[in-house]
Amino acid sequence: MIYLAAEHFASPPQWTWYILFYFFFAGLAGGSYVLATLLRVGGDVRDEPASRIGFLVSFPATLLCPILLTADLGASWSRFWHMLVDVTPGDTGLILHYWSPMSMGAWALLIFGFFSFVSFVDAWLMDRRRRPLLPPPVGRLFNIVGSLLGLFIASYTGVLLSVSNQPVWSDTWALSGLFLASGLSGGAALITLLVRYRAEAAFSLDRLRLADSYFSILELVLLIAFFVTVAAAGQAGRIVPWFPLWIVAVIGIGASLLGFRPARLRPAGGGAAVVGVAMEATVVSVLVLVAVLAMRAAVIFSAQ
Amino acid sequence: MVSLAATFGRGAMTNHWRDIKNSDLILINGANPAEAHPVGFQWFMRAKLDRGAKMIHADPRFTRTSALADMYLRIRTGSDVAYFGGLINHVLQNNLFHDAYVRNYTNASFIVKDGFTFKDGLFSGYDPAKRSYNIASWSYETDPATGFAMRDKTLQHPRSVFQLMKAHYSRYTPEMVSSITGIPAADFNKVAELVGQMGKPDKVMTIVYAVGLTHHTTGGQLIRSGAVLQLLLGNMGRPGGGMNAERGHANIQGNTDHAISWEILPGYLKIPAPGQKTIADYVAASAPKKSDKNSWNFFGTNYSKFMVSTLKAWYGAAAKKDNEFAFNFVPKPAGNASWMTIYDQALKGKMEGLILSGMTAASIGPDSNQVRQALNNLKWLVVMDSLPTTSSEFWHAPGVDRGSIKTEVFMVPTTHWIEKDGSFVNSGRWSQWKDQVLPPQGQARHDHWILADIFQRVKKLYQAQGGKFPEPIMALTFDYKDPLKPELDEIAKEINGKDLSTGKQMTSFALLKDDGTTTTGDWIYTGSYLDTGNLMKRRQGVQDVKANDPTGMGFFPNWAWSWPLNRRVMYNRASADLDGKPWDPTRPGITWNGSKWVGDVPDYPATMDPHDPAAWLPFIMNGEGVGRLFSNSMVDGPFPEHYEPIESPVQNPLHPANSASPVAFLYDKAAGRPNRFGTPSEFPYIATSYRLTEHEHYVTQHVPHLVQLQPKPFVEIPDELAREKGIKSGDQVRVSSKRGKVEVLALVTKRLGAMTVAGQKVYQIGIPIHWGYVGLSADSDPSHGRYWMANALTPFVGDANARTPEFKAFLVNLEKM
Amino acid sequence: MAAIQPGQEYGFFTDTSVCIGCKACEVACKEWNQLQGDNPSFLADSFDNTGSLDGQNWRHVKFIEHVPDESATTGDGAAWLMMSDVCKHCKHASCMEVCPTGAIIRTEFNTVFIQQDVCNGCRNCIAACPYGVIGMNSQTGTAHKCTLCYDRLQGGLEPACAKACPTQSIQFGPLADLQQAADVRLAALHSQGQTQAQLYGRDDKVYGGLNAFFLLMDKPETYGLPNADNAQLPSRNNVAGYVTAVVTGALAVVAGLVAFRRRVTS
Ligand SMILES: Nc1nc2c(c(=O)[nH]1)N[C@H]1C(S)=C(S)[C@@H](COP(=O)(O)OP(=O)(O)OC[C@H]3O[C@@H](n4cnc5c(=O)[nH]c(N)nc54)[C@H](O)[C@@H]3O)O[C@H]1N2
Ligand SMILES: Nc1nc2c(c(=O)[nH]1)N[C@H]1C(S)=C(S)[C@@H](COP(=O)(O)OP(=O)(O)OC[C@H]3O[C@@H](n4cnc5c(=O)[nH]c(N)nc54)[C@H](O)[C@@H]3O)O[C@H]1N2
Ligand code: SF4
Ligand code: SF4
Ligand code: SF4
Ligand code: SF4
Ligand code: SF4
Ligand SMILES: [Mo]
Repeated sequence: MIYLAAEHFASPPQWTWYILFYFFFAGLAGGSYVLATLLRVGGDVRDEPASRIGFLVSFPATLLCPILLTADLGASWSRFWHMLVDVTPGDTGLILHYWSPMSMGAWALLIFGFFSFVSFVDAWLMDRRRRPLLPPPVGRLFNIVGSLLGLFIASYTGVLLSVSNQPVWSDTWALSGLFLASGLSGGAALITLLVRYRAEAAFSLDRLRLADSYFSILELVLLIAFFVTVAAAGQAGRIVPWFPLWIVAVIGIGASLLGFRPARLRPAGGGAAVVGVAMEATVVSVLVLVAVLAMRAAVIFSAQ
Repeated sequence: MVSLAATFGRGAMTNHWRDIKNSDLILINGANPAEAHPVGFQWFMRAKLDRGAKMIHADPRFTRTSALADMYLRIRTGSDVAYFGGLINHVLQNNLFHDAYVRNYTNASFIVKDGFTFKDGLFSGYDPAKRSYNIASWSYETDPATGFAMRDKTLQHPRSVFQLMKAHYSRYTPEMVSSITGIPAADFNKVAELVGQMGKPDKVMTIVYAVGLTHHTTGGQLIRSGAVLQLLLGNMGRPGGGMNAERGHANIQGNTDHAISWEILPGYLKIPAPGQKTIADYVAASAPKKSDKNSWNFFGTNYSKFMVSTLKAWYGAAAKKDNEFAFNFVPKPAGNASWMTIYDQALKGKMEGLILSGMTAASIGPDSNQVRQALNNLKWLVVMDSLPTTSSEFWHAPGVDRGSIKTEVFMVPTTHWIEKDGSFVNSGRWSQWKDQVLPPQGQARHDHWILADIFQRVKKLYQAQGGKFPEPIMALTFDYKDPLKPELDEIAKEINGKDLSTGKQMTSFALLKDDGTTTTGDWIYTGSYLDTGNLMKRRQGVQDVKANDPTGMGFFPNWAWSWPLNRRVMYNRASADLDGKPWDPTRPGITWNGSKWVGDVPDYPATMDPHDPAAWLPFIMNGEGVGRLFSNSMVDGPFPEHYEPIESPVQNPLHPANSASPVAFLYDKAAGRPNRFGTPSEFPYIATSYRLTEHEHYVTQHVPHLVQLQPKPFVEIPDELAREKGIKSGDQVRVSSKRGKVEVLALVTKRLGAMTVAGQKVYQIGIPIHWGYVGLSADSDPSHGRYWMANALTPFVGDANARTPEFKAFLVNLEKM
Repeated sequence: MAAIQPGQEYGFFTDTSVCIGCKACEVACKEWNQLQGDNPSFLADSFDNTGSLDGQNWRHVKFIEHVPDESATTGDGAAWLMMSDVCKHCKHASCMEVCPTGAIIRTEFNTVFIQQDVCNGCRNCIAACPYGVIGMNSQTGTAHKCTLCYDRLQGGLEPACAKACPTQSIQFGPLADLQQAADVRLAALHSQGQTQAQLYGRDDKVYGGLNAFFLLMDKPETYGLPNADNAQLPSRNNVAGYVTAVVTGALAVVAGLVAFRRRVTS
């Protein structure tokens, strides 16, 4: 079989810093929401404090997204809403193109924003008044629906890049999964980092880090798939120059994989050991979060 | 232009742009029409696309024209005489010439005087001290009884032009051509093969050239060699044929027609010379002489009518029969006054002031550092232009110490051509009237208003103070509604001329008289502005091709107006055979229908039966009545001969002892200035200068959209040479000659390459001309513009005939900076 | 040419074999559309100093030098390729496909047009256009490209670039007429032995056919055009992208559930 390498002649869209951070926060917003839901729905009752951390960070992260997107539009920032409403003269109305990830994403972000806001208020009320906004069964269903949107938010940015004619981006099917796995991993790392401000959440620490390492395995697999598909399309030359970023990304993944040691394997060490674990968790989490950013940066810059 | 007049009788593109579509083969030499004449180039493409014509481009550089040609020949600059000479030899040796045409329509059968010789690169009559020829021996054997030239229609006489020519060109073998031009012999033979077929009556070839031939010390001969080839092939006068000069500026043809050159009066009448006291003296010295009984000698016969009518237009009532129609009012220059001579005089300190209008001497002349020196020697300089130029700004150019400039510079803002109406005459001699597009800006005034104002003031001074010779000024007619603001329409009407006895506009120059009853401002434009109106405004074109181009040959007789007499192809009697039938019935010029000539406007008496034994010969402007293969109207030889450029890396393989033109005028030497020519050991590379599509000389340096397209000065360097020198595209390089240097960017390309000349490997470097210290590019890099002028490199020497500067072949060195 | 009629398909046939690289089309486009152009810079790339199509250059003449070492035949423009590039007005337009705002529409002349009052500058179309046609205008903050002189067509005028082209390298007209003219020209070149000459975008092999199609003297890739195999729509990656997301999501949810499964630790 003669393999035909893809040849690209598209120009770069010059998406850089705003979009990088948008992708970063969208991953964290979606990832932490999903984790919060999983902790609440699939975890122990003692996971509830950690779950609430997830809901509490998800919304602020989500809130940054439209701000970044709007900022990215530059001179046309006031037209962000054109993503949702068609203003073509004589053809006005809401606009949703299922084949355009950006169009899908705009709506998903709006609706997810609603979910994460409600869950944020809910978590806030629970913390303050120990009274949920929504009665538990409805609330859980609400969280599950929100999580599905969260999964979408964390992953569609990968589809968005792929649905283009850019080198690298359009040469792989792995980006959405990669972004999702890393978004979840980042969400876990973010919650882990914040656990230090909420002692009762320490219960979930190990569990979060276990989850993180699973996500990292997924991420690693997808990263390999990404490299293979891109190399097969003859575009390896474009990703190689960004190797410092890739190394940072791989360090994050590796730290998350190696840094995890189940509690029972660890020597009992009393209070000092807990502090040591927290320290380690902090370092790993920071490395993971940096990796989440670095990986997205590497992907975005490879094509441009 | 000189060489075309010397060959055919008139100095202009013989055919016209649209006619190129009628060709079977297009030879392009010394022209880059795709870049310098992109709109006209469409007709080359039509020939190619619609009739499968072949296009052969010989150029030192592979250009945008070469890209679309069928064959490209990398030719050494300045060597086209050898190329055409080789083709002439091929045609003669293989009897491929158009036999009937050559016998009847050229001077092949004329017998040259005994004593004419050509030896070792010199024709008979050479005077080395004067560096000029006494051309007495370059003439015909005459019949003492009639005074007409002797002819041998069998072409066998050893001193017939035909036999002399055959011998002369026998030296131009394919190997010799290759050795001189650098064109591989095999490629040359392929071209010769194609050209050889063009002598058949049903084939026709055109030769197109421009300043790549003109801008040489041998420019006249380069062009004439092509003209001789075209006569041999019988391609003159025919649609699709001709020797087609692509002119420069949009109206440069109009400029020449109206005597922009010092040596002519309007309509190519010669400038009178000192000692000529009467019209008769003048005509005797200037007009062609009838040298065959069947020669009409139209020009010679009518010379005095044209001159007198011109004088009548100028001096009106003051031009009377008893004062020789004020002939003595006309200046009779004693010396040469061509472009270079003007600056040579200034260099010598013999000039006080200079008015430059629509031309920037500081950029465009050869050896521009020396030209600027010349401007510096003036007391005052007036620049009439709508934009700043290198001349108007030369006193504060980068590197110039303002204090050292003594010249007082006046800038007189003029309107640009887009701000006035008037006519543009294109290369094809079509005078097309245009409207004003934009209103004049600021204080700008039309050039002719400025000149009118100056004239009126001078006249007032004469009136008030008298003067040495006031008559020419006081008597000059100035019959315009507003003598300070003449309208171009009034001037156009005046140029056409009128019949003073009836007050009616003249309809034809054939009706002009030398009794003072007719006027004309320029006899070749008579017929352009009738009582019915200005024919140059006509616009019956492609809106209705059938109606407007009845012959289908692209003449469009009711589109604008073409001199002479709205004729589209000149010498068109030669497009038909002796019986008056077109050589190629599918491409008729004019045809004898039994009672008159039909088709184009005939270049011949409209009802003259070709079978009449007294019928005139076809080239009515020549004294011989035929085209001249051998011509005594050139100062550097009756047959074109290859001479090396003044600066050349090799000795002339034909005659090393007389390598370069023996008659080119060497200004510096004559003036006693130090030698400014370089040698190949110091300056090993050949350079040539030229235009790019994206710019129009220097004026487009003010146009942002065009500066973007070619923003920076550069030189084109052959890939192989660049590798030897470690130069890459985008590097800064220095190119220097004996006279100066440029410091610009390198554009490395395989479009230029090495060639073998006289057994030696030589390289050619290409230098576009468009930059200097004025304009947007210069503004973005203010300190460097002084090293951006191509003409810092070029030599102060020109063609022996026209003194057109040598811009196209000189020696340089190249360094990476 | 007959009067320009809405409802009919229009386009360009750009015959690169007759292009003389004069860039009149580039300048005419800028003049008509009042584009200032970019800052001048010398690119040291043959005679091209424009570089690419972008927000200020809606026509761009490419120069590709393939000149042989010896003086020789030049093959109708095959030795120094010049091509006036422009928006292809694709039948299946990648830009239109991804645009989230509906700014990109097909006009009554079946051309692809960006509505400036609708576009919000997201640049998704830039990422999508396989020909690198679209650019941003920093002043308006919107995406710009050739409009196929929509305003001129509405006024019954042919596009400025075609009008300015001295060699008829750019031919404008009803698509069917252009296709016919292109076939004739291709046959002529083939009969002259220029067998490498080919039409690009005349049939539906690239993006369902291009309203602005070309006659090329070399492979499309040489001119920076994707060949038929490479000419793919962005939406081809939708399914694979979402499937990967769903699979990854499912695995991740399972992994999360495993990690968080109830277990008593102390
Ligand atoms: N774009 C543009 N067009 C112009 C102008 C402009 O400035 N810009 N100027 C106008 C004017 S005033 C003029 S006079 C015309 C000039 O029109 P052209 O004569 O076509 O212009 P050039 O570029 O000076 O020279 C033509 C070619 O001659 C080649 N050449 C040099 N020496 C020789 C030689 O010895 N033999 C042969 N065979 N070729 C040689 C050069 O490489 C060059 O490619 O252009 C007019 N048109
Ligand atoms: N090395 C080298 N030197 C060359 C050449 C070459 O090939 N190589 N070519 C030579 C040739 S052929 C030519 S023609 C010259 C060109 O040299 P120029 O004729 O000096 O060049 P342009 O830039 O066309 O200059 C015309 C000037 O006229 C002004 N102008 C335009 N319209 C009007 C008007 O209506 N009235 C007035 N008063 N001014 C007006 C413009 O603003 C501009 O400044 O260069 C010559 N020099
Ligand atoms: S610049 Fe004017 S004169 Fe020269 S080719 Fe273009 S249209 Fe013709
Ligand atoms: S060429 Fe690009 S911008 Fe033009 S229609 Fe096709 S995809 Fe859209
Ligand atoms: S930049 Fe404008 S035209 Fe392009 S995709 Fe976004 S909204 Fe549509
Ligand atoms: S059609 Fe109009 S907008 Fe498009 S390139 Fe041509 S001139 Fe420019
Ligand atoms: S105007 Fe025509 S010939 Fe000139 S570059 Fe553009 S397409 Fe080519
Ligand atoms: Mo010129």
